[in-house]
Formats: sequence, C-alpha cells, structure tokens
Amino acid sequence: MNRQHPLRRFPSALMAWRNLGRNRVRTALATLGILIGVVSIASLGMATAAIQQQATANLEGLSNEVTISAGPDNPNDGISAEQVDDIERLTGDATVVPERSNVTTLSARNGAEIRVRVTALTKADTVYNVSRGRISNRFRSGALVSQADARLLGIEIGDPVTYDGQLYRVQGILSSSQGLGGQQRVLVLPLSAMSDQNHYDSVTVLAEPGQSVEALTAGIESSFNTANEDVVRVRNFASVQQNVGSFLSTLRLGLLGIGSISLVVASVAILNVMLMSTVERQGEIGVLRAVGITRGEVLRMILTEAVFLGIIGGVLGVVVSAGIGVILFEFLLGSPLNAFRWQSVQYLLYGMLFAVAASAISGLYPAWKAANERPVEALRD
Amino acid sequence: MSVIVLEDAIKRYHTGGEVIDALASVNFRADRGEMVTIIGPSGSGKSTLLNMIGLLDTPTTGRVRLNGRDVTNFSTDELTEERRSDIGFVFQDYHLLPMLTATENVELPTMWDTEVDRRDRAIDLLNRVGLSDRLTHKPPQLSGGQRQRVAIARALINEPDVLLADEPTGNLDQDTGATILDELTRLKESENIAIVAVTHDEQLVEYADRVVELVDGNINT
Repeated sequence: MNRQHPLRRFPSALMAWRNLGRNRVRTALATLGILIGVVSIASLGMATAAIQQQATANLEGLSNEVTISAGPDNPNDGISAEQVDDIERLTGDATVVPERSNVTTLSARNGAEIRVRVTALTKADTVYNVSRGRISNRFRSGALVSQADARLLGIEIGDPVTYDGQLYRVQGILSSSQGLGGQQRVLVLPLSAMSDQNHYDSVTVLAEPGQSVEALTAGIESSFNTANEDVVRVRNFASVQQNVGSFLSTLRLGLLGIGSISLVVASVAILNVMLMSTVERQGEIGVLRAVGITRGEVLRMILTEAVFLGIIGGVLGVVVSAGIGVILFEFLLGSPLNAFRWQSVQYLLYGMLFAVAASAISGLYPAWKAANERPVEALRD
Repeated sequence: MSVIVLEDAIKRYHTGGEVIDALASVNFRADRGEMVTIIGPSGSGKSTLLNMIGLLDTPTTGRVRLNGRDVTNFSTDELTEERRSDIGFVFQDYHLLPMLTATENVELPTMWDTEVDRRDRAIDLLNRVGLSDRLTHKPPQLSGGQRQRVAIARALINEPDVLLADEPTGNLDQDTGATILDELTRLKESENIAIVAVTHDEQLVEYADRVVELVDGNINT
C-alpha cells in the first residue's frame, strides 16, 4: 500500500516529476519543441555527414592522380614516347599510364547503337576496377566496358565488341563508381588497338603513397613548360578535393546553425512554460518556503523540471533522428548502418547535450525567481 | 520559558512618502501547552504579527526570540532552517500540493532530509487525525475538513515547538470547524506545543487559553 516511490531518495526529482505530470498537455508541447530542435540539429548534421561520406568515397580514387595532356604549345599535338620517358624519370616510383583515346559507336545484336569514348592503354588494372570479370595483368587483348553500356547493349563477359575492324572479347565490366561523376561511358582496349596513332592523348601518373601529388604536378610542369610556353597541361584533383571539403564544412556549419535556431526557439518556449508554471504556483512555492524548504531546494526542484523537459525531448529527438539518419544513409549511400559511425552519430550526442543545456539555461531564471520570492509575498493571494 | 517572544516589535512600511506602522511596538509571547488566539478587524496587523511569529518576516525594530535564542538578525536561510525544525503552519486554504498523496503532503516539510525517513511518523500522524484510510488519497479526493486535518498532520511532522494557524476554520462549516479545534486542543496537550491562531471566528475564541486583540497595530489587553 505504501510502497516507496523510486524517486523518493531524490526529492527534487520526485517533485519535478509530479509537477510535470500535472499539466500533461503543456509538458508534451514543451517536450515537442525540444524534440523538433534536436531532430533539426541531429538530422541536418547527419545529412552533411552522409554527403561528406559520399563525396569522400567518390573522390578517393582521384586523389592520387596527376593527368598530363598536350598543352597549346606542344609541337606534336600529343605526348610523345620520349616525353612519357621523361615523365617516368621525373616521377620515380609512381605508375605512369599513357593512353590514347577516340570515340566510337558500339552496336548491339538487337541493333541498338551508342557512342562511347574509347581509351587504349596497357596498365588498365592500375586505373580501373571491375565489378565482374577480370583485368589481365598486361592487358594485351580483350576489352572492358562500363556497367551502363553493358546494360544498355546487353553485353555479357565473353561477348565480342568491334573497334576499327578488330574484334575484342569483353573481359570485365567496370565498377560503377569510378572517380568524379561516378559512371563513365568508356570502352577500354589494349594500347595496340590504336597503334596507328604515334602520340598519346594523355598520361595518368598514379602517385605512390607518400608521394605528394602537388610536388609531382609542379615537377612535371617546371621541366616541360616555361613562362611563355605551355607544352603540357598538368592537372590533379587534390585542389578539387580540398575545395569540396571546405565547401562541405561551410555547408555543415550553415545547416547546424539553422538547426540550432530551432533549439533556441524551443528553449525560449521552455523558459515561457517554466515562467508561467512558476507564476501559477507562486502560492504553492510560498507554502514550501514557509514550511521550511530552503531556497536552494526550491531552485533545484524547478531546475530539475526544466532539465527533465530537456531530457525527455532530447531522448525522443535522438530516437527520431536516428530513424531519419538510417533513412538518409540508405537513400544517399545505400548503407543505412553507416549512420551509426561516429562521423554522423556524434550529431545525436550534440543534439542531446544541446537540448539538456538549453533547457537547464532556460530553467535558471524561473527557478531563481521562484526560489527568491519572499514566502510572505507568495502566500498573499 | 516561552517558546516564542516578540519584544517591542515594530513593523514599518514606507509607501509613497507615507510611513505606516503595521505593528506599533508589540510585545507578545506564547508558552508550551497554551493556545493563544489573535483577533482583530482586517488591517489591524494580525497577518503581519503572525508572519513575524512564524519567522516569515522580520520586525523593523525590536527582537524575536525562539526558545530563548535571539533570531532577529538571522539570515533568510537560517530562518528557513528554524521554521523547518521548530515551527508548524496551518493555513486557511490548507495549501496542500494537489499532485502529492496525503502521506507525501505530510512528509513535505522534511522531504529533502533524505537521511531521515519520516514516513512512519507521517502515517502515525494521519492515524491520529483520523485519516488512516486516506493515506494515498490526493487532496482533490478529500473533503475540506479532511484536507485541513492533513495540513495539521503536515504542521506536526517536524515535531515543532509552536504551531501557527491562520484562520484554520475559515473555510469549514461549524461542525467540521469544531472537530478541527478539538483536534488542535488535543494535540496542544499531547505534543506540549504552543498554538497561535489568527481568526475572526468566535468559535475559535472559545477554545483559546488566552485572547490577544489587535487594533491598528497595537495590542489591547
């Protein structure tokens, strides 16, 4: 009959809990405000984390590449074999992949035709990955087609494709995510397919771990080009990656800012709710003070009420946000469980901390005001 | 020795350049085992006097002694501590907390002293005021008389030396008021406490051992 309430040992918490139960609608609305604030912070944070993960995954393959093509002052209208040798000497351990390119029309048995870029090179395995099939080590024969083209034309591994009158057997299907822009429409052939061409259209230098892409770029540029002669054009994606990275950081800050505005609004709502309820309970608080409850105890009780609102709203907000995060990561990255990596899950923690802190700060003034009301004034109805 | 003593207590208010003495040099005392009733028309300073006896307010000049100790210059927190340990309050409007059960309401003044569990005393007090079957009821489920009895039990939870009652029968009908006054008289003797009551109620005057009449902030004896 007289079982102890579980919060009996914590009188401030017990009283706060009972007080919140008195006006459930008001409690629910204040909680809802906090919930929305937490959800907006956490889900916007998680969204940027998802975009960031996606961008990183896409740019990863490009970050160690330096691409060299003929500049406007190149006498050969392409990179010569000697220049490739020079590049190899300049870049040390890096893998140098010269390639020739062209455009061709691929046709399927059902008569469908598509234009694709053709690239001819030797070390295909260093530049491309296949999702099915394989890339032979030296890539002397055979062909690789992109997933999109294979699907469009119904090409399977082992099927023949024709280029310049020659037949090549499809050895592998390229994996879909390959560098910036994701899907490349490309037919990859051995270098011999374009043996009629003397020069290379471009040279890709793949830096070894520890080699600086920037240093390689600068080295190649300074040895081929002078102030007024651009023999080669050298590009890398390091700066692109940096730009994308800094753009995403700005985006994240902006979105988190927007998210925290809603939490600030929610904490103003808590301030309002707590002020109203302490004003309503002025007489009651006066009684508490009269019968010997100290100012500190009243302050703790009211503050606990505000913090409870923050905790309840925060926990519900975190649950909702986690759900949103899973959907977001499924949608953007196809891997819902990535939502629980620290990179994104940290925003749940921030949302929660922010909610509790904001509620506590909002509760301070009403609590202080209630505690310092003179019991005589408060009792006078 | 008197439990509570006021010596030459003056309460002076300044309002709009005007000086008002709500209490003009009042001497008052209450002893254990006696019920003192303060009567007087509205505005005569009854509430001011009661607030001062209850350590809710301090006199502008004069002294207040509780159990022989001078508490006049005690800080807010020290006064709160004295109220918590030595004084019990009963109000006209009962002032129970609606979300707490009868037992919890009785425990309220000592609720924050987590080392001492006053639950057994609370139940015992409720038994003594005849509410043994209302322990887990909340105030809205109780009648006026029952609520006032819960309030009396609350006022006794801290084993006070003095119980202050502000119009304790003001909201009750004649019969219920009489039972409450019988209750207080019994407790006055069994607990050996001083009871100071402020009232308009003629009935309450009949139960008093001593009557103090206030007129314009002065005591008529």
